[in-house]
Amino acid sequence: MSEGAILKEPWRDLARQREGATFGIWIFLASELLFFGSLLLLYTVYRVENPQAFAAAAARETDIFYGTVNTAVLLTSSLTMALAIHAAAANRTLRSYYLLLLTAVIGVAFIAIKFTEYYQHYEMHKVPGIRFESTSPQAGAMQLFYIFYFIMTGLHAIHMSIGIVLVVLFAFRTAVGQFNQEYHTPLEALGLYWHFVDIVWIYLFAIFYISGLHK
Amino acid sequence: MAQPSFGIRTYVLTYLALLTLLLATVLIGFVDLGWGSMFLAVAIATMKAALVAAFFMHALVERKLVWVVIAGALVWFLILVTLTLGDYITRGWLPFPGK
Repeated sequence: MSEGAILKEPWRDLARQREGATFGIWIFLASELLFFGSLLLLYTVYRVENPQAFAAAAARETDIFYGTVNTAVLLTSSLTMALAIHAAAANRTLRSYYLLLLTAVIGVAFIAIKFTEYYQHYEMHKVPGIRFESTSPQAGAMQLFYIFYFIMTGLHAIHMSIGIVLVVLFAFRTAVGQFNQEYHTPLEALGLYWHFVDIVWIYLFAIFYISGLHK
Repeated sequence: MAQPSFGIRTYVLTYLALLTLLLATVLIGFVDLGWGSMFLAVAIATMKAALVAAFFMHALVERKLVWVVIAGALVWFLILVTLTLGDYITRGWLPFPGK
């Protein structure tokens, strides 16, 4: 594609257009940080107020195996995403295409593992409001833990799903030759989003799976 | 067009470092350190997040403007955290009549 077709108003050249685009994504991610950050903060406040119940729920009932595997899966998808952009920047279109597809497949694997885990929570009566049973005297506070767990991992899964759709879309845009060495700004923007969603999970893993593991 | 980027080697090394930290955080998680456990888990998560941001997201070699955005986001978030926890954690430290 010629530069004229991909250069949009009001940018003078592609380099400036790229700077504008990535700057915009960083601003968006800053707002996302406050979005997930305020939930993290709220979780912390309730955990400070109900330390035993939260630790007990976090410790015994979220499965460290699923959590660890899923973290490794997501980190791998971040690597393939970074390599896909690297390949596009080196004009290796086909390699970039395959790496993007691989990223999407790994993303789907993450969602699949996550929902297997959700199903187990359902089987074990750990879904507040739908199916929750506990004989613990702290059942109320444990439900609070699960509400945070489902809202935060659920929002993360929604972010992942949007990311997967975009990755597939951009894989096809790569396949038809819309991105090359000179122009792959949309891929970079998508990569920033993908890595950010990865960072969100890193924190969710720490607060829901790791802390309380020893109890 | 100059774009911030790294070599494949750097990406793979970053990935291996992330997996190492993942293993470390799980192993440390089994040791009871009281409140230190939560603190360590979040500290290691922050190290992982910093690695992802610095290398995968190219923050390390980005222009100053992007650093300003990152710093701005973190500063506002820390204001939120500090003032809120400053309230909640210190409740009950002083004995007030009727409480």
